[in-house]
Amino acid sequence: MPLRLLKYGLSKDYPVTGDIPATPDLKPSYDVVIVGGGGHGLACAHYLSKYHGITNVAVLEKGYLAGGNTARNTTTIRSNYITKEGIAFYKEGVQLYEEMSEELDFNVMFSQRGQLTLAHTEATLRSFHLRAEMGKHAGTNIEVVDAQTVKELSPHLNMDEGGPLEIIGGLWHSDGGTARHDAVAWGYAAQASRRGVEIHQRTEVEGFDIEAGNITKVRTNRGTISAGQVMIAVGGMNYDMALKAGVELPIRCFPLQAMVTQPLKPWLHTLVSSVSLHTYLVQSSRGEIVIGGGSDPYQLYSTRSTLDMKEHLAEGATHLFPFLHGVRLLRQWAGITDMTPDYSPIMGASPLKNLWLDCGWGTWGFKATPVAGKYMAQTIANQKVAPMLEPFTMERFATFDLLNEMGATAASH
Amino acid sequence: MKILTCPMNGPRNINEFQSFGPLKANPDPETTSDQDWARHLFRADNTRGVIVEWWRHVPSNYFFLAERNATTNEVIRTFDPSELEAAQ
Amino acid sequence: MTRLPAPYGSRINRAKPVRFSFENKPFEGFEGDVIASALAAGGQWMLSRSFKYHRPRGLMSMAGAEADTLVQLPSDPNAQADLTPVTEGLKVTAQNVNGSLENDRDAFMDKLGRFMPVGFYYRTFMGPARSSWLKLWEPLIRKKAGLGVIDLKAPHQDYEKANLYCDVLVVGGGHAGLAAAIEAAQGGADVILAEMEPELGGALTYRRGSDAMLHDLLYQARKLPNLRLMTGTTVNGWFEDNWLPLIQGRKLFKTRAQEVILATGCIEQPAIFRNNDLPGVMLGSAAQRLMRHYAVKPGSRAAMMAANPDGYRVALDLLEAGVEIALLADPRPGGSGGGLADDLRAKGVRIVQGQFEEARGKSHVSEVKIAGEWVPCDLAVVSVGYAPMWQLPCHAGAKLGYDEDTAQFSLTLPDAPIGAAGGVAGLFGAEAVAASAQSAAQTALARLGKDTRDIAPVPDSEASLANFELPVNANPKGKDFIDRDEDLQVKDLQNAVKEGYSELELVKRFSTVGMGPSQGRHSALATARTVAKATSRKVAEVGVTTARPPFAPETLGVLSGHHHPAERRSALHQEHIRLGADMRPVGAWRRPYFYGPKTDAKRLIEEEVHAVRNGVGVLDVSTLGGLEVRGPDAGEFLNRIYTMAYKKQPVGRCRYCLMTNEMGTVIDDGVAYRLAEDLYYVTATTGAVARVYSDMLFWNAQWRLDVDVLNVTAAFSGFNITGPKARAIVEALESDIDFSRDGFAYLDGREGTVAGVPVRAMRIGFTGELSYELHCPSTYAKTLWDAVMQAGVTHGLRPYGLEASRILRLEKGHILIGQDTDALTSPDELGFGWAVSKTKPFFVGKRAIEMRRNKGLPRKLVGLTFDGPDVPGESCLVLKDDIPVGHVTSVLWSPTLNTHIALAYVHGDDAAEGTPVTVKCRNGARVTAPVRGHAFFDPDNKRQEL
Repeated sequence: MPLRLLKYGLSKDYPVTGDIPATPDLKPSYDVVIVGGGGHGLACAHYLSKYHGITNVAVLEKGYLAGGNTARNTTTIRSNYITKEGIAFYKEGVQLYEEMSEELDFNVMFSQRGQLTLAHTEATLRSFHLRAEMGKHAGTNIEVVDAQTVKELSPHLNMDEGGPLEIIGGLWHSDGGTARHDAVAWGYAAQASRRGVEIHQRTEVEGFDIEAGNITKVRTNRGTISAGQVMIAVGGMNYDMALKAGVELPIRCFPLQAMVTQPLKPWLHTLVSSVSLHTYLVQSSRGEIVIGGGSDPYQLYSTRSTLDMKEHLAEGATHLFPFLHGVRLLRQWAGITDMTPDYSPIMGASPLKNLWLDCGWGTWGFKATPVAGKYMAQTIANQKVAPMLEPFTMERFATFDLLNEMGATAASH
Repeated sequence: MKILTCPMNGPRNINEFQSFGPLKANPDPETTSDQDWARHLFRADNTRGVIVEWWRHVPSNYFFLAERNATTNEVIRTFDPSELEAAQ
Repeated sequence: MTRLPAPYGSRINRAKPVRFSFENKPFEGFEGDVIASALAAGGQWMLSRSFKYHRPRGLMSMAGAEADTLVQLPSDPNAQADLTPVTEGLKVTAQNVNGSLENDRDAFMDKLGRFMPVGFYYRTFMGPARSSWLKLWEPLIRKKAGLGVIDLKAPHQDYEKANLYCDVLVVGGGHAGLAAAIEAAQGGADVILAEMEPELGGALTYRRGSDAMLHDLLYQARKLPNLRLMTGTTVNGWFEDNWLPLIQGRKLFKTRAQEVILATGCIEQPAIFRNNDLPGVMLGSAAQRLMRHYAVKPGSRAAMMAANPDGYRVALDLLEAGVEIALLADPRPGGSGGGLADDLRAKGVRIVQGQFEEARGKSHVSEVKIAGEWVPCDLAVVSVGYAPMWQLPCHAGAKLGYDEDTAQFSLTLPDAPIGAAGGVAGLFGAEAVAASAQSAAQTALARLGKDTRDIAPVPDSEASLANFELPVNANPKGKDFIDRDEDLQVKDLQNAVKEGYSELELVKRFSTVGMGPSQGRHSALATARTVAKATSRKVAEVGVTTARPPFAPETLGVLSGHHHPAERRSALHQEHIRLGADMRPVGAWRRPYFYGPKTDAKRLIEEEVHAVRNGVGVLDVSTLGGLEVRGPDAGEFLNRIYTMAYKKQPVGRCRYCLMTNEMGTVIDDGVAYRLAEDLYYVTATTGAVARVYSDMLFWNAQWRLDVDVLNVTAAFSGFNITGPKARAIVEALESDIDFSRDGFAYLDGREGTVAGVPVRAMRIGFTGELSYELHCPSTYAKTLWDAVMQAGVTHGLRPYGLEASRILRLEKGHILIGQDTDALTSPDELGFGWAVSKTKPFFVGKRAIEMRRNKGLPRKLVGLTFDGPDVPGESCLVLKDDIPVGHVTSVLWSPTLNTHIALAYVHGDDAAEGTPVTVKCRNGARVTAPVRGHAFFDPDNKRQEL
């Protein structure tokens, strides 16, 4: 038994660590106001407080802590992107996950079991080669593998030899993995609040006061506060929140659905994802099979789920692993994704001098939680966009400097 | 499954339809600045309230417009694109 | 153990014994038994070990929810023992057992609970190394976690899907459901009643004194022809616009209902006390189900805790079945069971005020502590209250509240064609239930436009008595389970709150309460009460976590149904097979890759290339997209869709088409053949045609030009006869078309008949050779093909496949959209400035192409050749100062030129012919090649114009 548990076993009363302090009263003024108490906002608060000595920070969350897309995503962590800017960014994200449990003294259960993306067509295989070449050149662990190796990596796959969805190869990204999403947010929250960051749950931002290109005040349902710097990181509500500050983001919102089965003893080791079937599967450490796919086909700000998507995902899952037909689904859910035109995020400066954006995370935000937090904190602390984030400027849409990451995986996660 | 009422074919399951996104103004390429043209290309109405958007009824290849609340998913009405022409 | 005599055992057929095994021990049940009832009849109460502490567990609800009753079947990793019928020879094994169920080697975990407080895994399992979680701890936990073992060789099973429509769908076939369905059907509606249990009646099938009422309801229901009764059918979710999945075995009925009446009833709630999870501790309704449905005596000496009239009725039932009642505890202060208590006392039952404080027993309850007194028993029954089946209503948007007076959850329905009746609406008394059902039916009938009648509401005499909020205090010694699935005790939730996880969703996420197979059915109420108390809030403020579909676990098989990925075949598919083609999937199609045995692929492909270059070949191009653009504005329409100009294109001529999107990205190409002033036949690439077609329609929905577009891809087949000898073949065919050099020039198009078949002939091709492409209605394809093949015999005509076609096109430097282009490719990057009109006022993408042109050229597609030992593969990077600036899009060995030829994106500054560029091969080697034009063979395009 791990020694740390002795503390609990040998204490008369339960020794409280107090991960998340109760929401305090709002102060009149903060150096930094982070709008959004999800993984990104909390990570930024952690980096600000630990590495930049900025602790007069308020994180404002309209609901409960990390209850938006942090709570809803299917936790894929990977760096097998196409653009060199994306690869460099996400690669550091993976590295930060590798050290996160230690950094936070909180087990985020980063499980680097590798991601296997399947190719059923030559065109897909060609795109995998590009991903692999770009990734290898940037030093990530990624390779195109043949059908035989696919079979070895995931022995129970239906290869559909001679069929219309024959697996002809795959992209093997051994750095890929998953982490416990809630723990990531809670770990950052615990660290940041220990250093003095205030976390305000049930605190909804209703508007901003703007003077001479600066946000002067943040109006909330619990009162109005002054802010030195403001960051927006509210996931599916980014467009709406930025609009409150008069900033119109190139974002459209779509629901993204996922579902989970009853727990099973381990049989699926890697993450498996099929581009053609728009389906991916991963077995959690609890034994559940988490199944996800692409976004809903039309714009909607709702976390309702649909039967159609469930049927579609079940078709994909039982095609890849036919013996799953008798396995029972326990729950389905959805999140609201803020999709950009090029499937890359929008980070950095805004038209307002002290408003910083951490938006456009679509279906791919969780994996970037630490790296976005790190560089957004650096950006806010220096009031200058960190070089790592420069390519992700919202200005790229005015200049056609797009960072095209379309068609990344089953759902571009 | 949601029902969408096609102006030509009547109420149908929404999986018979394909969304073509929010209606955009078609600015004059001759007179629009680069900045505004880029905005035209990359921005779309994403408000949390009622949006007007294009839909295609796939089996009949008929394009029409819908006013739909993007938060409640309530369809307020659907109409033939000739209404746009008439309004211009 | 002998069964109770009939009429006990309504579900079993005593004439049909069924033999099965559990943990390798033989058992016998009857047809109609579920696994749990047959095992209980055989004295086997323990069904599993719990997930974390490996405590003995058995049935509690007989309603199929809790993880404790999950068992392993050979083909089913997580079968619900209290729902799954026994079948002859079935092998049942227990879950979460290390060793045997009786002697679980992991049972010591129960003693280590102190060392595993709530969320303990977040605070440990991190070392000693960074990779320890992955390498050491997670594998350990994964092995211990999980429930059943999946059969990786599970045989295929058939699943079916069907659609159903009705005016009114009534969910639940108990008293309320039957009454509502009868009322709605009598009012003229087309009604479906869906009941998940094998028979209609719900609680009436096991509740004391319900037989007459059930009989009457069934009689009425069965004589209504417009009422369809579906038993064994679970309405497993509610989706927008009353779209509901009805699951009946392996069949999924997707049902559209005008009106839905929820009569889902309520679910009895357990009580919280130490060791409340011991086998033998069960709900009153479970004891009744065992007796009435399966004739199983739940014990011989019972301790009872009753806080509502149903509890007293259960006690009477138990007495009648020959179970001794050791003691009945009623926790209500000053509470009395009224006349029911008098009945019990008259039968000698001792009733005290108090509650179960603790239970004891090794693997089965053997005594219960009540008011400080240990009462020996082998059965401990609790009846303390209910929770409405809130799942389906909440899927539909109902809000869940909590009524502090009646101590129960209450539902507020959304403004939608949905009603509720009976237990789910918080009603318990028979008259009130019936009135609520009739009223819900009348509301539905009114919305359906049917005649209605007034139903007077009936006050409910029992609602205030049904629920009692038993004080939840953490037992100092713990093991007072709130969530049995997840082995969570009261203190676990209290400690989660202390750690700051005070919002209910955070309590859930930190502790995992409600995340197990029962999805909070038995834990949500106690959780809400516990968290409310720990955070000094009202239960209504705490609420329950969002109910998500499905209602009950559903198999992936029933959801996916009988699905087969579709595949398209050209009209000549069988001809290719006959000719020995290696057919490979290309998008949705299957196309010949080459002709001949696989083992000889390389040689055969080269022969096919040589045949085209030196003789003549034929390629099936039927998969090519075909569109007809017709109308007075057809020319104007193409002018706006494509980058070139079409209005002045002469009839009988073909013109290249390049399509860009609004961002100026190349998305398709093809050829437009003007058949008439107002008619163009336009080709599109195989993969893109569907999108090109819908884009065309979408644009014209905005432009409103007088034009029709028709997708004729499947209607037309086509093949391209290409090579220096192509003309000899077409001229040998019986035709009214002049195929002579002067009569049919390059890029000409002609209509006529060939071999009696109506054709559209075009002098276009992808190979750079003299080519005639013949398109004809698909029904004639074989006739035309046969004629061409016949005419070709003397000229050595050879059918060639996709791979040869790719080589031939690459030798000519023709681009393939999607392979040589990506989501950002502009015409300038392809060097296709010649194909972009500078004079047209508008086409889709024009403005963006100009804006991008003003920015300068970031990259350009050029030709490269490689003669050395290291040849880059497709997608290999083009580097400039070791930074990727482009990649190889196509590379192939050219049998014509005896070298590797490639198209690649290079930096815009390096695009001039002769500029050396560096390419990184897959093995890491850097090779340098000078930039050249796209066309490697016949760059002056002499051959196609022969």
